[in-house]
Amino acid sequence: MNDTSQFDARFKLPPVRTDNPGVQRRARVIEHQAAQSLARIARRPPDIAWFESTLNTLPAGPADLPWVGYFCNLVPPELIEAFGARAVRLDCGNAALVQTGEEVLSGEICPLAKSSFARFLDPSGPLASCRALILPASCDAKRKLAEVLSDYVPTFILNLPTEQDAGRYLDSAARELERAAAFLAGVLGVRLSRRSLRAAIETSRQRAARIRELDTLRTAEPGSLSARDAFLILQASFTGIPPAEWNRRVDAVLAWMRAFVPARERLRPRLVLTGAPIIWPNFKVLNLIEECGADIVGDTLCTGMQAGWDPVQVDEPGLRALWRALAARYTFAAPCPCFVSQGRRINRILELTSERHAHGVVHYGLRLCPLFDMESYRLNRILRQRGIPFLNLRTDYSLEDTEQLRVRLEAFLETVEGN
Amino acid sequence: MITAGIDIGSTTIKVAILDQDRVLASLVAPAGGLPAETARSIFRQALDQTGVAESGLAAIATTGYGRRLVDFGDLVMTEIKACAAGVRHCLPADTIRTIIDVGGQDTKVIALTPEGDIEEFSMNDKCAAGTGRFLEMLAAKLGLAYEEFVSAAVGSLQTVLQMNATCAVFAESEVVGLLARGEPKGDIAAAAHHAIASRIASMVRRVAYPEQACFVGGGARNQALVKTVEEHLNASVRIPDTPQTVVAIGAAVCAQRKLQNRGTTTGTEI
Repeated sequence: MNDTSQFDARFKLPPVRTDNPGVQRRARVIEHQAAQSLARIARRPPDIAWFESTLNTLPAGPADLPWVGYFCNLVPPELIEAFGARAVRLDCGNAALVQTGEEVLSGEICPLAKSSFARFLDPSGPLASCRALILPASCDAKRKLAEVLSDYVPTFILNLPTEQDAGRYLDSAARELERAAAFLAGVLGVRLSRRSLRAAIETSRQRAARIRELDTLRTAEPGSLSARDAFLILQASFTGIPPAEWNRRVDAVLAWMRAFVPARERLRPRLVLTGAPIIWPNFKVLNLIEECGADIVGDTLCTGMQAGWDPVQVDEPGLRALWRALAARYTFAAPCPCFVSQGRRINRILELTSERHAHGVVHYGLRLCPLFDMESYRLNRILRQRGIPFLNLRTDYSLEDTEQLRVRLEAFLETVEGN
Repeated sequence: MITAGIDIGSTTIKVAILDQDRVLASLVAPAGGLPAETARSIFRQALDQTGVAESGLAAIATTGYGRRLVDFGDLVMTEIKACAAGVRHCLPADTIRTIIDVGGQDTKVIALTPEGDIEEFSMNDKCAAGTGRFLEMLAAKLGLAYEEFVSAAVGSLQTVLQMNATCAVFAESEVVGLLARGEPKGDIAAAAHHAIASRIASMVRRVAYPEQACFVGGGARNQALVKTVEEHLNASVRIPDTPQTVVAIGAAVCAQRKLQNRGTTTGTEI
């Protein structure tokens, strides 16, 4: 393909496709059930149906725009958008698709990797039309998934430092982004201009400003928007819809939130949510927390408000400075436990808990993801040392343990409220 | 002040009627397929036993996995909160820092502060391995009544046979394999108890304090389980007189406490 290819062409395999109509049907049912749970939220923005349908059916955009898929919050979508392509984040939360993923991959990998992979297996799926993929070398599942997916679509693995030490590694991380750009230029046959990258960064800064305001309004008055709808709105921006349209729709939501006047003082317990990615339609943990009568007033999730909070800070106009700015934002400010130095993440959780007057911290551990699981060891002890109530909810995508999780959460809230 | 606590578990339903500190009645019955109706009728039986009319109750608290299934309660709480309150009520003289509760579908370990408040808790994951239901299933697989299964285990606690028993389904095939090898049923029963007890002891060490533990729930009535848990904890455990109804008693205690707190504050209390 081109000299940036990271995979040995001699061992390329023909891509496997499966078409399991039973699973596809169940996948639609799961989306429908997730939507039904959200429909019970008392107060929702008028335009929420648009965000929901955007997530369920990846919208068909102008045919001349190529699609480029990416995984994780460690790949800058600006990099893709600067080529005039649509950036589609492919992390998937559909429990039904886990089974399809297992038809090809081993069962002993995380449900996120399996269900995301399954989106490529469906020959009629919209993602079969992705022109290229960028995956970060974050967790083991993503590294190896990139190798498997390289049989399907031209794929680039974005190397990451192990330590989030910008002083040492910012230059090499910026060079990796340049390398990813060279890869995309080769696949798409388009040259990247400094001007288009600047424009993409400017649009993403506008997005970040909106996410910040949305999060700030929610923190001040959680009744103004449920956390589930906040996640839904944010995640709709991952689907490759034109960023300007998302911005315009979110402006309407923000105006609606600003106009909210609470009838009474809010007395619900305030929680900070941390841990593994929660991705539509797997809103099980968000549903439980809100159904049990608690408010999420801050999160460190790579699929939550944390994912969009930090704007890209551009100090200098040159192309190299833009790559450095993107690396600073996407690599060195990322909350992912694939990096060592847990201190940064613990600090962020402590900061959020104190700034937002939270009563406790809930950690969502995704089964088969050792990174989050092992981080809960230190997090649990540090928070307890500081007298901050902590609950670890370890689960996967399936719904069968919902009631057990509900007991844990309710019992936790009973202690948080001091009942 | 008379209050009632109803603990609707997966396997059994427990009702306790409490007059201040005194337990007027405590009943246990199988949950059956219609837990809400069973709860209602056990509750009636308990009232009949005490001669207290329903209108004479200050509050009815429901707890357990079916805590929201009944429509006649005034107060709902988790079994974890009720259990802590129940243990404090049933063992007032002891300093308990750990509660082990083995029920039909859950095993819980609750760590308490020196004051008896909940410090931390841990529950088994979604698999039923290590619960009462799991032991009943293995008894059936061995062709033994539950009581026979327990006494067979008590008689063979020194066995060197090992079972893994981390998954309820795999444990069943493990038993089939051991039977095929000709292992005595008593040894298999004892090995199953050891496997569960060892995991319970690990759960205790992870979140709580092995030296000051008490054991409640249906599992505390199983002598083989009590003995093996003590062995793996390397400490003796306290068992209240009615280990199965501790949670129902605790729910009734919490209802009393709630009413008393309301009485001492005025107007704006929520």
